Amino acid sequence: MPSCPVCSSHVDLATTPTVPFCCDRCRLIDLGRWLDEGYGVPQPRKPGPGEPQPDPADAEDDG
Amino acid sequence: MADEPQQDYTSADLKHLSDREHVRERFSMYIGDNTARGLHHLVYEVVDNSIDECMAGYAKRVSVTVNVDGSVTVEDDGRGIPTDRHPQLSEEMDREVSTLEGVMTVLKFGGKFEKGAYQTSGGLHGVGVTVVNFLSEWCEVEVSREGHVWQQEYQRGEPTGLVRKMGTTTRAGTKTTFKPDPQIFPQTKFSWDILSRRLRELAFLNSGVRITFNDAASGNADEYCYERGVEEFVEHLNKASDPIHADVIVIKGSSEGVSWDIALQYTGEYTESLHSYVNNISTTEGGTHVSGFRAALTRALNSYGKKTGLYKDLVPTGEDVREGLTVVISVRVPEPQFEGQTKTKLGNGEVEGILNSAVGDFLGKYLEENPKSAKAIAQKGVLAAEAREAAKKAKQLLRERKGALSGGGLPGKLRDCTSRDVERCELYLVEGDSAGGSAEGGRHREYQAILPLRGKIINAYKSRDDKVLANEEVRSMISAIGAGIGDEADLGKRRYDKVVIMTDADVDGSHIRTLLLTFFYRQMYRLVAEGHVYVAQPPLFRVRSKKNVYYVQTEDEMKKQLLDQGLGEGVFLPGDGREIAGDEMQKLCRTLSGLEDALVAMEKRGISLRDHAGRRDPKTGKLPMYHVYYGVEEHWFTSRDELEAFVKGKEKSAGGELAVGRVEEAQAAGDATPGTAPGTGDDQLVVVDLHEVRSINAGMKELEAMGFGIESLLPEDRTGTEEPRYMLRRGDNEIGLEDLRGLLTAVRRAGEKGLTITRFKGLGEMNAEELRDTTLDPANRTLLRVTMTDAAAADDLFRVLMGEKVEPRREFIEKHALDVKNLDV
Repeated sequence: MPSCPVCSSHVDLATTPTVPFCCDRCRLIDLGRWLDEGYGVPQPRKPGPGEPQPDPADAEDDG
Repeated sequence: MADEPQQDYTSADLKHLSDREHVRERFSMYIGDNTARGLHHLVYEVVDNSIDECMAGYAKRVSVTVNVDGSVTVEDDGRGIPTDRHPQLSEEMDREVSTLEGVMTVLKFGGKFEKGAYQTSGGLHGVGVTVVNFLSEWCEVEVSREGHVWQQEYQRGEPTGLVRKMGTTTRAGTKTTFKPDPQIFPQTKFSWDILSRRLRELAFLNSGVRITFNDAASGNADEYCYERGVEEFVEHLNKASDPIHADVIVIKGSSEGVSWDIALQYTGEYTESLHSYVNNISTTEGGTHVSGFRAALTRALNSYGKKTGLYKDLVPTGEDVREGLTVVISVRVPEPQFEGQTKTKLGNGEVEGILNSAVGDFLGKYLEENPKSAKAIAQKGVLAAEAREAAKKAKQLLRERKGALSGGGLPGKLRDCTSRDVERCELYLVEGDSAGGSAEGGRHREYQAILPLRGKIINAYKSRDDKVLANEEVRSMISAIGAGIGDEADLGKRRYDKVVIMTDADVDGSHIRTLLLTFFYRQMYRLVAEGHVYVAQPPLFRVRSKKNVYYVQTEDEMKKQLLDQGLGEGVFLPGDGREIAGDEMQKLCRTLSGLEDALVAMEKRGISLRDHAGRRDPKTGKLPMYHVYYGVEEHWFTSRDELEAFVKGKEKSAGGELAVGRVEEAQAAGDATPGTAPGTGDDQLVVVDLHEVRSINAGMKELEAMGFGIESLLPEDRTGTEEPRYMLRRGDNEIGLEDLRGLLTAVRRAGEKGLTITRFKGLGEMNAEELRDTTLDPANRTLLRVTMTDAAAADDLFRVLMGEKVEPRREFIEKHALDVKNLDV
């Protein structure tokens, strides 16, 4: 059952004009979060200050 | 001045209007107007008297009937208006006047002016039924009281005779029938909807009162009675909405002669639905009772939100915390002062303070004691505040975009194409600046545009980093694509036909791809739905041979190619005199290749093949597929049947069904014995299904058919011999092998001969030419069109990552960490 990404209420994908949101307001809240850099994907490890993001593929040589 | 006509000003110019004349000429002072609103007001005035009788405890029921001739009858079972001689009036009027006649024909005469009769009352401040009588073509009142029925009739407010005794009765009450005067009201037809709404409202506001309503002409009938009063009112108002907390919050009390009866509940709606009443009168302009309530609500929620940390980033305003609020505020005030344009605003200053402190105290306590509802309500306020802020930002963005359109300000980082033929134009969203540089060099300038994007790392929480799309990147994409967002979205204005996401084949790349797909799915739904979004497939390997250079897309494909090439003229010598070559060799390697993945999966669980081989079923030779813990016991079973037999046996001795635990939970709790419930030590059945063993068993069967048992996969302890156990021969070259698993690696290594294989760690490692040849040039590239299913899946994954549940996030990170390991050959 598809649900609105913001308020989790049920959304009928076929008939809701603001898909995938239940309403324009929720879409707006979502846009606000993007613009606010509020949406992030968690990072596997935390680099120390000043260090570059470690690349796990560096650990071993190529096959 | 002498020229000007002298105007006579004599006492003949002045007239004293009687009450009756005054009401009929100036009806708007009493009932507002003579439209439908004023007309229906007549009924309310009469009903209000009956309700007062109910609230004072003398009446239980009120019935209202719209008669066939258009008159209305209101009847109650109260005490009945007194019918005896009223001394004061009789003296003033110098004739015998009954109290009933006074009530019906003298303004400002009535029980409401004596506090003894009614504590608080509705109606138009005591003018009530008199006004109704004056504005009626005719009116008839029948009073049952003290064993007799009394009656009096009036025409346009004037009694047509004295109060008459009709006969005896055992009942009590007042029955008033009136027909609105068409000389006053252009329209005298009553509306069922309007009347039923108000009567129902009165029943809600006066709990326990039973109001029946009949329309004689249509036969419609209804009855309203609500024991829980305003609480049921709120339920009624919310019946079409979804409440965000189960209970209706009820606040009742009285202080300093003012009493209040408040019910509220929040729903998923975005507007406030506030209904306020003073002495049953709807106060549409609000007033001190409403402002007192609102101030207390805002204060209570803010203090709760701050205490719990919910209002850390955003503090909702009073308006924010009222979003989705349905509230009925009913107060009774002894001497209400009404203000405002329509006299529907309560002015009594003392009411504000009384309600503010009463509501504040109650809500403060309620929020403490009902954490689940409290959290839902407080979060609703945060969402409202967020929406307000977001709307502001979106407006700003649109303004900027409009400015950008006129000023030609496309994002600075965009390397646009030269063609404006939308159908041919493509926008590549490229991860990283260096890859962006290569892409810019390798693109077809005429119709391929490049927008380099970078994930931005932010310190989201104490212990966690998040990768986000920077504000600037989001805005750049929106403005480069040009199709707008939300209300403004217009796919026809898009500047490119294809939007291609091009990210590295590593964890960072998959994160950025997830973010982008989620963003497009949510904010540019049509762009995805109509198939304009693609994912580029840059190769993972570059293979250089003596003759040429080619590219391989995936890990699996690379392995397969190496195996095929390595097989060539290879001959396998298993040491038993056989020489396996050609088709048979190919078959052996394919079998081993399928087996290898399953073996690796099993070993990842910490189960070694050597140990597991020892657990084979002696009869079938199959490896166990189920690893079972029960309490401190540990078992291995090769089939469902065996497992079930075991469970049945345990159930018998336990005397019932077994508690089933999950191995993940046991492990997450750091429990060394998964068969006991974490932290309790109770016995639990934990079954680990080793799915990959199915493939291993199948592969083993094939191997056996080729003459190899499980021991061939395990290195042997052999001493005293120099000869390798197995041998792979390619031409003159012989490679010794200690077990069958080594054969694959050896064949692949042989396949690598003469080739230089480079694995790209990122797009940035490809030069412009390579990027063009593999990923940009329509003649050679592979583009995957993003389907709605793909995008929705990205959104789902994203929700898991954004969610509050720590566990799924942890799983995601670990899973991806594993994927990275797998990427290394």
